[in-house]
Amino acid sequence: MTKSHKRLLFIAKRALYGIPVILGIVIVNFLLLQLMEGDAVDALAGEAASATPEYMAQLRERFGLDQPIYVQLFAYVRNVVMLDLGYSFRHDMPVLDLIMTRLGPTMLLMTTTLFIAIVMGIVLGLLAATGLNTWRDTIISILALVSYATPLFWVGLMLVLLFSVRLGWLPTSGMETIGAGYTGLERALDIARHMVMPVIALSLFYMAAFTRLMRASMLEQANMDYVTTARAKGLTERRIVWGHVLRNAVLPVVTMGGVQIANMLGGSVIIESVFGWPGLGLLAFEALFARDLNLLLGIFLLAACMVVVANLVIDIIYTFLDPRIELK
Amino acid sequence: MGKASVRNRLFGCMGAAFLATMPMAAHAQEQGGTLIMIVQPEPPSLASYMSTSQPIGQVATKVYDGLLEYDSDTVEQPALAESWEISEDGLSITFNLRQGVRWHDGEPFTSADVAFTFMDVLREFHPRGNNNLRALEAVDTPDEHTAIFRLSTPAPYIMRILSSYESPIVPKHLFEGQDVREYSNANTPIGTGPFRFVEWRRGQFMQFDRNEDYWRDGKPYLDRIIARFISDTGTRTAAMETGEAHVTAYNHIATEDLDYLDSLPHIEVTTDGYEMMPGVNFLIFNTTEPPFDDVRVRQAVSYAVDRQFIIDAVYNGFGVPGTSPISSKMIWYSDNVRRYDVEDRIERANALLDEAGFPRGDNGIRFQITHDIQPYGEVWMRFGEIVVQNLAQIGIEARIRYEDTPTWLTRVYTNYDFTMTSTSYFNFSDPVIGVHRGYHSNQIIPGTVFVNASRWYSQETDDLMDKAAVELDFDTRMALYEEFQQLIVEAAPHVFAVEPSLVTVYNNSVHGLLESPFGSFWGMDRVWIEQ
Repeated sequence: MTKSHKRLLFIAKRALYGIPVILGIVIVNFLLLQLMEGDAVDALAGEAASATPEYMAQLRERFGLDQPIYVQLFAYVRNVVMLDLGYSFRHDMPVLDLIMTRLGPTMLLMTTTLFIAIVMGIVLGLLAATGLNTWRDTIISILALVSYATPLFWVGLMLVLLFSVRLGWLPTSGMETIGAGYTGLERALDIARHMVMPVIALSLFYMAAFTRLMRASMLEQANMDYVTTARAKGLTERRIVWGHVLRNAVLPVVTMGGVQIANMLGGSVIIESVFGWPGLGLLAFEALFARDLNLLLGIFLLAACMVVVANLVIDIIYTFLDPRIELK
Repeated sequence: MGKASVRNRLFGCMGAAFLATMPMAAHAQEQGGTLIMIVQPEPPSLASYMSTSQPIGQVATKVYDGLLEYDSDTVEQPALAESWEISEDGLSITFNLRQGVRWHDGEPFTSADVAFTFMDVLREFHPRGNNNLRALEAVDTPDEHTAIFRLSTPAPYIMRILSSYESPIVPKHLFEGQDVREYSNANTPIGTGPFRFVEWRRGQFMQFDRNEDYWRDGKPYLDRIIARFISDTGTRTAAMETGEAHVTAYNHIATEDLDYLDSLPHIEVTTDGYEMMPGVNFLIFNTTEPPFDDVRVRQAVSYAVDRQFIIDAVYNGFGVPGTSPISSKMIWYSDNVRRYDVEDRIERANALLDEAGFPRGDNGIRFQITHDIQPYGEVWMRFGEIVVQNLAQIGIEARIRYEDTPTWLTRVYTNYDFTMTSTSYFNFSDPVIGVHRGYHSNQIIPGTVFVNASRWYSQETDDLMDKAAVELDFDTRMALYEEFQQLIVEAAPHVFAVEPSLVTVYNNSVHGLLESPFGSFWGMDRVWIEQ
């Protein structure tokens, strides 16, 4: 069997494994959410600050909340299998449509951030490790520590204060200028302008994590036997780092990058909230407090799928980075 | 100079000439412009005929009109109804409807719409509908421009619930044949209001454009209203400061930021414009179990709560002490009740607790309770923390519990599994709508939120409320409510703590914002922006 055949078979197999995992997650999520006190009707009535019992009973009947839990669970799983994620009664929209309108902005923010954070993390980690215990290492380590320890919302607000309120360079929030009617390149630039602060705030945090990981990984590799061999062979330090150490040291960073994809949905709740970015994190957060279970389950399902897919992609990237890893 | 600016100048001149006869005119109104309003949280829908949620009130009132409007003195003013007449026995109200009004889709507005709205929509599906309209038996439509309300009992409060917020008039021709709850245009509403719905981009904004065909000549002034959703309070303050947003009402700005914003030359902070949204923040006791089944213990807590300190520390001065179940903003308010904010209140509280049989233990503690906080954010948390400190002064050790909203609602209003909690009730436009629900025995309804959770009642107070609900004579009704307030304050099922002020923050290029007594729950057709 050729390598590419093997690879295809591997992907198919892993994708199949993913199905029971996702189904399990759906069921566990559903049952977990049932443990919460109060339902969507309580939340709606709470916002309205008044409601009659007839009205609340009417709503429960309409939302199907008057059915026993196993009936609700069975109906939900059946619908999910048919790719129907149900209806968000709160937003009065199908869950899938709702998620789709929010997925774009989240992906845009996430991929940009992850790209910047990984690239910067690798570069800074490399610089720190190669200049171990010099001023360069110290500065980078302090920078990483500070950005890692600073709360995201605080960084966000400080950026707003500096760039929007004091300097007036960037808009405080939103994804684009409302009612400006930009199209094409103009619109892309407008969105980019709105993206600057959320991306900086979010990538600072992840960059810090990647920097520290990269630095540690580089140092670990530097003590390996193959490095000693390379040195004995008479290679320059530069050749050793670029040709041998870097490739091995990047592996944990890539793993971490994959894991962070799911984490970033959470991290972006804060950033989306501070910068009014119309993404999924904020939607999930609001859905939780509104007990909009269909929507919440839909977002969880998407997150689960993303993790499964990300893991698969990472495994594949591994095989390129380290040919010794076999496709099984 | 373009055509548009010539027209603007012409409008300006006409406005000035008109206003010259009015004493208050400072500027001439200008036509045009976009008003950006921060609304929080994002409304769950635009169906104001079946939800009274605060963010819905802020947006849907731009699209839907009411039969009436109310001025800043809360006096009824014509809107879709040009005039009205109440029969002597109080059992019928005749509304003469405005002619030539059209829905945003071009269909004419008629008395059939009014009858349909009240009988088939509001009475059936509005959360307060079956309370607001419980006396309404039929709406007769002798001709296209007359609607006659037929009532089973006199209902003096009906004239107070006809605003575009409380009773939006909806189009019969579009609703007909559909289940009202599934109405297909719920989130793309068609009304008769000053602005047409254009777009709702989820998570971002809603857009409303000028209704060129609005029945009030020359209005609205604005070309467009944008409602923006910004969930972070710090960012909302920043957006106001940079001028990205023009106005935000209903306390969307954190109280600790108000002084700073007020100090900026381009920002105004005001508590005006909420005359018909009176509210009271209070503590609710579970009066069915010890220790709060004893009126002396309830009164002791009421004495212990340091109202002025709460106003200063938590509300940054934006509020007045609470003294009664009826807000001091309401005409029915009486201060002729037992006062708990007296000099020797701590001594009195301690004496009451001794008398009730709760002596201090060796550690100075009489008993312990859990204080559930209404989970509506920071402000409520700090309110609760001060109450805990106040209670410690009289030997009650309280532990704070803060849950999320649905959990808390279920605990307090379904399971009654609480000892003492905090909350706030709007009084709305009449005690029948906003006050009775907290005290009447028929309002002890498990599973219904914001009704009588203390489960305290008495035959006397029930009778007073029943009489006041149908009493047409103003002075008699006033006397009934005075006695009611005296009895409630004495029995203290609630501790009336603070009447918080609602706050609007706006850019001073915006004018005419404060014309409604409902804050931002109105069409804003008379709002204009200096260009």
